[in-house]
Amino acid sequence: MTKRTNEQWLSELRTGGSRREAALADLRADILYGLPYALRDWLSPDAPQFSALAEEVTQETLMRVLDHLDSFEGRSQFTTWAHKIAVRVALTELRRRRWKDVSLESLTNSAEGDSSSQPIADTAPGPETVMEQADVLARVQKMMLEELTDKQLRAMMAVAIRGMPLEEAARRLGTERNALYKLLHDARLRLKRRLAREGLTPGELLAVFERG
Amino acid sequence: MRHWLDTVKRWLWPGKRAPTTPLPPHVLHKVARQIEMTHEVEYSCDDVLRLLDQFAEAVLRGEDVAELMPLVQRHLDMCPDCREEFEALLRILRASRASAT
Repeated sequence: MTKRTNEQWLSELRTGGSRREAALADLRADILYGLPYALRDWLSPDAPQFSALAEEVTQETLMRVLDHLDSFEGRSQFTTWAHKIAVRVALTELRRRRWKDVSLESLTNSAEGDSSSQPIADTAPGPETVMEQADVLARVQKMMLEELTDKQLRAMMAVAIRGMPLEEAARRLGTERNALYKLLHDARLRLKRRLAREGLTPGELLAVFERG
Repeated sequence: MRHWLDTVKRWLWPGKRAPTTPLPPHVLHKVARQIEMTHEVEYSCDDVLRLLDQFAEAVLRGEDVAELMPLVQRHLDMCPDCREEFEALLRILRASRASAT
């Protein structure tokens, strides 16, 4: 691949003709080179669906790159910026495929596979600790009920507790990933402020759970 | 005993009643840990996406990104989607660097 500066990439992709075609071909090859590394934890390059996915992702990435050339700020290598777009396109599609049959409701219907249901402390807590934990649990549960909206509670359960990707939870809640993150941030802040009003710090709360 | 998830469902759908079944400790432990990591000001996913290429290159150069770009680092600690994308991008950059040397 021809080595280019950021300015050369921009210039060649903005001009027509053979220089643009050559730049696009090089960028396409670079994106295709990176995808097996990016998707290593999701899909083997030997999997039958890999080639079609890589082709689809590369096409979509090239289109987005050309559409958003003006938003490239030059703070990274141009190819890093393009790879960032490819990663977003690819993982969005893979998350959609992986979670396509899972509803928010089904997440709250099944606790199976939730490895986090293991005991928190290494040793079984004593009776006093159990009572203290029960008291704190009841207080936190009451706070959640009083402070969070239904949407915040559903989102927190699906994303923070059950591990559904934000993107997928957002789709099911009829919102965007960015908006859902803000909604969850607001939920966490509400709980943090409520804890403070009740004279508790998150550290103290954690200490109660982790005490054996 | 009624399952704790039934409790959640009763909160969320019509005819809500005050929960009578406590949520299990591991659920509230997760909530507590997230509250502990919460800051008043946090970048959104879009804020982080805009900076992710710059951030990943800084990591590749071995720079102290938690010091240089703390809001990005904090978001990646909280947001699994963005963290996955950062790690995927970093794998590409590392592979490219290895093939260039």
